[in-house]
Amino acid sequence: MRRLDFAHYLAKKYMRTEMLPHAFCPGCGIGIIQRAVLMAFEELGEEEWNRTVFVSGIGCSGWTPTYFRRDAIHALHGRALPLATGIKLARPDLNVVVFMGDGDSMAIGGNHLIHAARRNIGITSIVVNNMIYSLTGGQLAPTTPMYSYTNTSPYGNIEPNFDLIELMKASGATYLARWTTWHFIQLKNSVKKAIKHKGFSVIEVISQCPTYTGRYILRKPDPRDYMQWMKDNSVLFDVAKEMDKKELEGKIVVGEFLDRDDRPEFSELYWSLIKKKEVEA
Amino acid sequence: MKVIEIRISQDLCKGCFLCVWACPYKVIDVGKERNYRGVNVPIVAKLEECRACRLCEYRCPDFAIQIITDKDVELLREAEQIELRWQRRVELAEEMEVSE
Amino acid sequence: MSGKGERKLVIGYDALTDAAIMAGCRFFAGYPITPATEIAEEMARKLPKVGGIFIQMEDEMASLMAAIGASLSGLKAMTATSGPGFSLMQEAIGFAAITETPVVIVDAQRVGPSTGMVTMPAQGDVIQARFGSHGDYSIIAIAPSSVQDIFEHTVMAFNYSELYRTPVILLLDEILVHLREPAVIPDKMEVVERMKPSVPPEEFIPYGGEIQREMPSVGDGYNLLIESVLHDEIGRRIGTDSIKGSRMIKRLWNKIEGNVEKIAKEEFFMMDDADIAIVAYGSPFRSAIKAAKIARSMGIRVGVVKLITLWPFHDSMIRRVSEQVKAFVVPEMNMGKMAREVKRAAGEKRVISVPKLGGSLHTPEDILSAVKEVA
Repeated sequence: MRRLDFAHYLAKKYMRTEMLPHAFCPGCGIGIIQRAVLMAFEELGEEEWNRTVFVSGIGCSGWTPTYFRRDAIHALHGRALPLATGIKLARPDLNVVVFMGDGDSMAIGGNHLIHAARRNIGITSIVVNNMIYSLTGGQLAPTTPMYSYTNTSPYGNIEPNFDLIELMKASGATYLARWTTWHFIQLKNSVKKAIKHKGFSVIEVISQCPTYTGRYILRKPDPRDYMQWMKDNSVLFDVAKEMDKKELEGKIVVGEFLDRDDRPEFSELYWSLIKKKEVEA
Repeated sequence: MKVIEIRISQDLCKGCFLCVWACPYKVIDVGKERNYRGVNVPIVAKLEECRACRLCEYRCPDFAIQIITDKDVELLREAEQIELRWQRRVELAEEMEVSE
Repeated sequence: MSGKGERKLVIGYDALTDAAIMAGCRFFAGYPITPATEIAEEMARKLPKVGGIFIQMEDEMASLMAAIGASLSGLKAMTATSGPGFSLMQEAIGFAAITETPVVIVDAQRVGPSTGMVTMPAQGDVIQARFGSHGDYSIIAIAPSSVQDIFEHTVMAFNYSELYRTPVILLLDEILVHLREPAVIPDKMEVVERMKPSVPPEEFIPYGGEIQREMPSVGDGYNLLIESVLHDEIGRRIGTDSIKGSRMIKRLWNKIEGNVEKIAKEEFFMMDDADIAIVAYGSPFRSAIKAAKIARSMGIRVGVVKLITLWPFHDSMIRRVSEQVKAFVVPEMNMGKMAREVKRAAGEKRVISVPKLGGSLHTPEDILSAVKEVA
């Protein structure tokens, strides 16, 4: 069995080191997201880690939890959320964390996303948004900027894109945040909050894909330039409220958009219903 | 906080240089030697400048760099115990493969 | 069947749901679709009373994925649908097959293709039950022929899914789901429970050996890696290693195909001295029995082979019967699907397919005229 010469202690403690180095490209943002999640668990404590289950869709982001030394289910494209719903209903005591890509969650999985939000089921979704379909080689996604050139929009993308936060707000999600991989500490704190949060939480992470988005869309194939771009073009939510539409063009609005606790969490609601029926039976 | 050393993994580093870019004190620099992947793994240029801000760690996607202080030695030791425990399963699976 | 029982008038979907609960099913995720809607409705009523979970998901794909999620979390799970929903579920059936997750999928078949004849029975999905999902996998499919069968075979379906770590398809048709007839509902039946792991997590190999009966639930510290890609014994992806990949696919295939003799079940009626065999399953079996009795009274030596498991197909049994009889008659509410399988296994002997389409069931005369043709 091959042994690594060295790995960060978080990797040794929480990851399947026999599978490292992971398959992500050099400079890929997913590695940073993995670290943010593991740091969040390091701070939340062993008890939270012990009762966490990971589910993921298909795509680059789908491989994220397969490297964690914890139960991980690498499910079908777009169908991670219904599977996670089954797990949460059967074992409401578990933390269910779902990793999905932008195409996985908003294209093929769009229906399941809005229904999971509608039900407000206690799942933490981390949507890795690199604005493209990266694993298949750089095709159009519902989040690709207008007029971009990708492999399936060789004459320019003419589809406007989704704002995931607005979509989730309308569908009923109860904790919403958007960060980029540059905002490491804020991302880690949001992950902690989302795991503790009872209802359906969505953290959208704008993550760098230097290989495709970097080369095709932003013309920044170096991950360092890409991260600088994310830093320079991020605007905090509170500040963005004061700015007008013209100023906000091309900017990434980050922050915690929503944190409400007035909607009941679905599995809790269901189990309280059963207890009544069991007594009646 | 005394920084004992900065460990960088030759096996894990993919040469994205986000750590070099992140460091505000120019502690790390691009190395001269290439690893098995063909990338110039970063080297520690000025250890004395390191304040353990850990920005390099936060930017590294590959878990390939760690600032080692006294606390980190302890954390690494604990983590290695856990890693060792789970090696058993990988070894068992590989035994099964060989015996097929 | 074990345990004493009460003989009463029972309707198909009632027997199915009671049997599922008796077999230990505590999770149902479904979507309304004619003619399987009543199954979901009954589970919605019955499951909460036994502390189970019912959820109506947003579509059939979500239903089966939720059932798989619940099964991975330690509950016995089921879903029910008809043709259009069954087609939607195929990807998830492949997922259940490769992850070796026990789950029961009920297909109450109706006339297809597509929306078809919504309220009319058919048996057109029988090949899809075996080969509907892409790639190479194997699966168990059971076809009850009476309400009594529905009860016993539903329990059998759950037991098989646990014994062989596989999804099991329960193939009904619209007639059987809505049929009300006398049946004996036992107060208890032999149920195969999920096996808990016998070794500590660091030594547990999730996909080891020919069949790994031990199945821990997620969230219990076993650090399972449950992959939809082709994986090795501990769940790591195989990637591009053809030799290992081919070995793992064969393991998945042989898990069921290699155990045909243990899994396949059928019943023989009047076969001892028969020289014509009617091979029937589902509702046409009822007409077949009547046709056989009429034929016997006319002096034709006919017997009936009632198929209980359609898949894995019992080649050796058909071969044995083909040595005895001179012809097979296969009545089906489709264009002759299992007839192709019978023909394949029957060698040189004649196989007459008797299709009945458009939603009507064979009359005994339909089958009798085919029997007379070969008598």
